[in-house]
Amino acid sequence: MKNVLILDDDAAFIDTMKASIDTTQYTVVSAGNGEEGLKKLEDFKPDIILLDILMPKMDGIEFLKKLNEKYGEGKTPVLITSNSSSLEKISEGVSLGICGYVVKSNESLQSIVDIIDKTLVK
Amino acid sequence: MTTIILLSTLALLSLGLSAFLLLKEYQSKGVVQKREQDISRRMYELAILKELGDRVGYSLDVQQIVDIITSSLHQFIEYAAVSYMLLEPEKVVFKMHLERSVHRRFVVDVRDRMLSSLGALLDREFKKDSVKELLSGAILIEDLDEPVQSFFNIPLVIADKVVGILTVADTKAGLYKEEEMTILYKLIQQASKAVTRLQEVVKTEQEKVSAMVESMEDGVVMTDADYRILVINPAAKRVIGQEKKTEITIFDFIDNLGGKMDIRGRLEESVKLKKAYVSERFEIRDKFYQSFVFPVKTSSPLNAEGVLGGVVIFHDVTREVELERVREDFTSMIVHELRTPLSGIQKASELLKKPGKKAGSTPKQYIDIIYQNSSGMLDLVNDILDAAKLQAGKFEISREPADIADVIDNRIAFFNLSAADRKIGLTASIADTVPKTVPFDVQRIKQVLNNLISNALKFTAEGGTLSIAACMHEPGALVNASIKKMKVSLPDVLPEERMATLPRSLVVAVSDTGMGISSEHLPELFSKFKQLDSKALVPNIKGTGLGLAIAKGIIEGHGGIIGVVSKVGVGSTFYFTLPVVQTSP
Repeated sequence: MKNVLILDDDAAFIDTMKASIDTTQYTVVSAGNGEEGLKKLEDFKPDIILLDILMPKMDGIEFLKKLNEKYGEGKTPVLITSNSSSLEKISEGVSLGICGYVVKSNESLQSIVDIIDKTLVK
Repeated sequence: MTTIILLSTLALLSLGLSAFLLLKEYQSKGVVQKREQDISRRMYELAILKELGDRVGYSLDVQQIVDIITSSLHQFIEYAAVSYMLLEPEKVVFKMHLERSVHRRFVVDVRDRMLSSLGALLDREFKKDSVKELLSGAILIEDLDEPVQSFFNIPLVIADKVVGILTVADTKAGLYKEEEMTILYKLIQQASKAVTRLQEVVKTEQEKVSAMVESMEDGVVMTDADYRILVINPAAKRVIGQEKKTEITIFDFIDNLGGKMDIRGRLEESVKLKKAYVSERFEIRDKFYQSFVFPVKTSSPLNAEGVLGGVVIFHDVTREVELERVREDFTSMIVHELRTPLSGIQKASELLKKPGKKAGSTPKQYIDIIYQNSSGMLDLVNDILDAAKLQAGKFEISREPADIADVIDNRIAFFNLSAADRKIGLTASIADTVPKTVPFDVQRIKQVLNNLISNALKFTAEGGTLSIAACMHEPGALVNASIKKMKVSLPDVLPEERMATLPRSLVVAVSDTGMGISSEHLPELFSKFKQLDSKALVPNIKGTGLGLAIAKGIIEGHGGIIGVVSKVGVGSTFYFTLPVVQTSP
């Protein structure tokens, strides 16, 4: 079993992702912002994190910085899943060692699941 | 005998007659000659003036003008030498043109006499070694040792200032009589008048140009071909942060531009190739500029190809850059806000088409997502449309008499459920003084109330209260006093100074016991393009923030005002006013 952590303030995305990920292979845990996400990290060790950028309280970039500080850069693969295609945020994410960046509206649930599978097989 | 006497008398008579006739003829010849002389003098005077006009054009070069006068003076006045002295900052130019050969002593004598005359005129002492001598015309001959016998000086005056003297001299004595000299005077006077007038014109034009350059918002720097700065305006000094410095050199620019723009290289290129150059945007000292470099060509027809130097213009584009950034941010925010619900709808329908792997999920769940997201998106699209209408000035308000108490009650009923969900108290109080009907656009005011109430609900923690108060503002009375009478307590008082100038108006205040907003963010709240920063403002709320900008447009469309007072940790009051008597906004 592999662990997937989804950080997104859009409940619809979390619900639909949870419905698509094969629960026989993955355990999925979610949080609505970066702050909650950090708390979840304490006892849930994710093998991959799906990270939204624009979130209340603590946004994705801030979360990434904290994650790197605590656990070291690149230790956990992070896939940014955002609806923003701002180049600024993408490059900021890349500089913080993310493994990928997808615009949610450009992907289907299945294609995101495929990315998760591929990343964790590597 | 008688015959002889008669004959001789006749002969004498005829002799006398012919002598008389001869004399008469001689006299009339003299008159004619004199007249001819007069005419030729006048012709000469005219010719000289015409030549002056033609050759000098709009020249202000005094030496050039004096050269023109002296080069043709000999046609009119007899002299061995004509010479002039002109004052220059460091020296005195002495130029002598010889019509006849003279001894060197003659030259020295004339020069010394002129120098002392000039000294007397200006009440100044001139050293002989400060004289720069130029001789032209006939050669000096040592054998011709004749002294200066005739000599005449005319001061050269321009704009009431002596700039030099003109002198004619000869070895013959008694040459220069009043008549010749009067005409010479006239000539010099006319030339000096013309130059004086021209100088005045140039001076006023220069003053106009320099006033224009000084007051320009763009930085302007002009240099000569050796990069010496000839003109610089205060804006250009500001660009490099040298407002206080008086003597600015090209090195001040090179140092302070810090490689952002190669000012010297660009000037060199521009001057050499006689081409204009437009730079990319660059940033200096937190400001963005675009620079333009132009060669400065001479306007003199004699030197049509000449380049005097170059001009650099620094155009401040900071505002444009900021606006572009704000617009980009706004666009990407709108894109994000539209994609989010759409992407939810897309994902939910994907699951409806091909059921997911999670056990127990029902189609109803996904239909709910689709319904909520599409409703949210409709609201957003409506907001964007309203904002666009506001910006285009096409926002329409249709006022009709309506009861504000009804509208407020209606909204309370609408929000009661969600307020109760979050255990937030929702109350309304309407002052007795509020008229039964006030003209306003019911749908639009509902929209404003929706926005203010839903914001207040978002920012108020569980167990808090949200209160709506409506009262009257009477000109000359304090609005806070009428609120007090209603026994409603607001987190902060309403700003009386904003209300003071208003006509008799209805005042509606929506107060919460939320976290409050710090004062530095208050002015930005109602600005359409500021909502991206609202993340910092209100850390746990997302949204376009268009709502308040639209509310502002609606209230201003009614001729009222909208605002907010807030105390951090206590709560906020959003208020708006509606004039009771319909006024055009």
